[in-house]
Amino acid sequence: MDILLQVLANGLMLGGLFAIVSVGLTLIFGIVKVVNFAHGEFLMLGMYGTYLVTTALGLHPFVAVIAVVPVLFILGALTQRLLIQPLMASGDDHIQIFATVGLSTALINLALLVFGADIANTPPHGLRAPIEIGPVRVLAGQVVIFLAAIALVVGLQAFLARTQTGRAIRAVAQNRAAAELMGIDVTRIYALTFGIGAACVGVAAVLVAPLYPTSPNSGTYFVLTAFVVVVLGGLGSIGGAFAGSLLIGLIDSVAGFYVGSDMREIAVFGVFLLILILRPSGLFGSRLKLAHVSP
Amino acid sequence: MRKSVVAASIAAVVLGLAAGAARADVKFGALYPFSGQLALLGEESARGLELAVEEINAAGGVQGEKVVLVRGDAVDNNQAIGEARRLISLERVVALFGTYSSARSIAASQVAELAGVPYFELGAVADEVTGRGLKFLYRTNPTAEDMAKLAVEMIVNKVAGGLGKKPEELKIGIIHEDSNYGTSVAGHQKKYAAAAKLNVVTSQAYPASTVDMSSLVLDLKRRGVDIVMQTSYQNDSVLFLQQANEAGFKPGAIIGGGGGYSMQPTADAVGHGVIEGVLDTDFTQFLVNTKYTPGIEGFVEAYKKKYNGNPRSGHSLNNYVGAKLILQELNKTKGFTPDTITKAMKNLDVKAGTTAVGYGFKFGTNNQNERAAMMGMQWQNGKLVTVYPDEAAVSPMQFRK
Repeated sequence: MDILLQVLANGLMLGGLFAIVSVGLTLIFGIVKVVNFAHGEFLMLGMYGTYLVTTALGLHPFVAVIAVVPVLFILGALTQRLLIQPLMASGDDHIQIFATVGLSTALINLALLVFGADIANTPPHGLRAPIEIGPVRVLAGQVVIFLAAIALVVGLQAFLARTQTGRAIRAVAQNRAAAELMGIDVTRIYALTFGIGAACVGVAAVLVAPLYPTSPNSGTYFVLTAFVVVVLGGLGSIGGAFAGSLLIGLIDSVAGFYVGSDMREIAVFGVFLLILILRPSGLFGSRLKLAHVSP
Repeated sequence: MRKSVVAASIAAVVLGLAAGAARADVKFGALYPFSGQLALLGEESARGLELAVEEINAAGGVQGEKVVLVRGDAVDNNQAIGEARRLISLERVVALFGTYSSARSIAASQVAELAGVPYFELGAVADEVTGRGLKFLYRTNPTAEDMAKLAVEMIVNKVAGGLGKKPEELKIGIIHEDSNYGTSVAGHQKKYAAAAKLNVVTSQAYPASTVDMSSLVLDLKRRGVDIVMQTSYQNDSVLFLQQANEAGFKPGAIIGGGGGYSMQPTADAVGHGVIEGVLDTDFTQFLVNTKYTPGIEGFVEAYKKKYNGNPRSGHSLNNYVGAKLILQELNKTKGFTPDTITKAMKNLDVKAGTTAVGYGFKFGTNNQNERAAMMGMQWQNGKLVTVYPDEAAVSPMQFRK
């Protein structure tokens, strides 16, 4: 019984990790429907940023949030403005995909050039200390990630539902042309949304860096799962992506323990395919909104 | 008509002169990944080769000729093939040295084989490199199989006694990343463990890009595994050691295989306290008994002088010794045709304990160096020291009390 509880706790913590990395992607991919394959590399850059701030200034890694989040916001907004926006005008959405794949490869190689292939270790400052809750043992840093993921999801939901800008973002997502006719500056909203999405992954980077070694490939470890949970949750549903993350985390952990670690991915992707077959719009998606694909 | 005859004879003279001038140098290819993902250790490997060539040239070259290295950048498999072609047909190298990466070596050596040009592999470990029955491919370094063999040997000869148990009483868990590398080493570990009548209770694969190994750790803990053998890259080595420590899983011994386990950043990442006592099987490293590895100090000195820093891994050393012995052997023969080179290699016969890497050299089946062997290291006080075999050890193997 104790072991089962520990396996479930590990699964939830892993789910929290997937959730915090995916939050930004839900916004960019799930709502604005731009496929950003460089999402993982934004994470990787944020982790290096955290590493640099923490080691150079000797501060607690969480302080790096002050620097990393604005930098990633600007990076995201610039990516949209300079790379994606000109391609949107071309009318073929597939070109964006190739552009972001190119950006991803370029960023990985840039990191190789600047930081080398060796791993960089952000000092954990106590975040690796175990917390014992009854028979279950988790890391302080994992709990922080889990709570931060919930806070980000709730905050982002409120932002989209309550604020003028949030409503504008949803309007653009629903119908680009109509939103423009209503006087919304669509280009600005796109850049802003991309920036917010990248800033969210900046928050994730600051929290993840003390727990995982950073290398130029770090982003690629997370990005596939991030896309899976966004689709699984139902495109555009932030709460759905969160639920999807926890589900994937739990399946990964339970299958890894009871079935065998080589079967983990089969279990995760098997369930993913099954859910898509039974509910093509994902767990919480109302229906697939494909208007943006064929305008 | 007459003009063209004159032109032709001038051309012939010029060509002859060019050929005469070229005869003063003998070209060898240096095929490594110098850029891209594998650049760090590719470059490190090439440095060993460069130092060997410098030393040979300072001592009068090979057969009185100066050895010149022509670099080829094997950034991926396709380019490895392209660069091998260029070195062979354009640069006309008499043989190739390489390659650090097994995949690049397997690709490029096929080109050399078709062209009938000798290819000397000094650092790639995959079984398939020499397992394909190529005639012109030679490998000087130990293989994935040697790595597995040594790990099992260490358990039987040292670890079991150190833990106060009989080898067959120990519960052994094998975990490995699921690409060709981890799978083949783990396969050999199972084979040698079975031959030594060890009790392997579980063998599990996982993707090297994993971000969580907690369920695997719990599984090993539940089974009461005494010895874990892991074959891994750096990310998954760090992850396993950290998560095992955090889950309170303390097996009697952890034996890592090369890759991440030999690198200082890995120890720094998991913490010197956590990695203390962890064992590792890999190429010869630098904290080793120099009586068993004569010449290693001279190598480190030459390395520091040329590259302003300590060697970053044992790759340079292995490439250095392999290349040096091959070039010395070529010095004893006449000419550089593929036939003379392959004939000369039959005579290479160097005993263990007389080279800077410790192991000896003699090409056996499939032109694999049958005397090549890995060594056993242990992390002690934040340093990777050699503990096995006894004649190479600088410190006794330590066990948790």
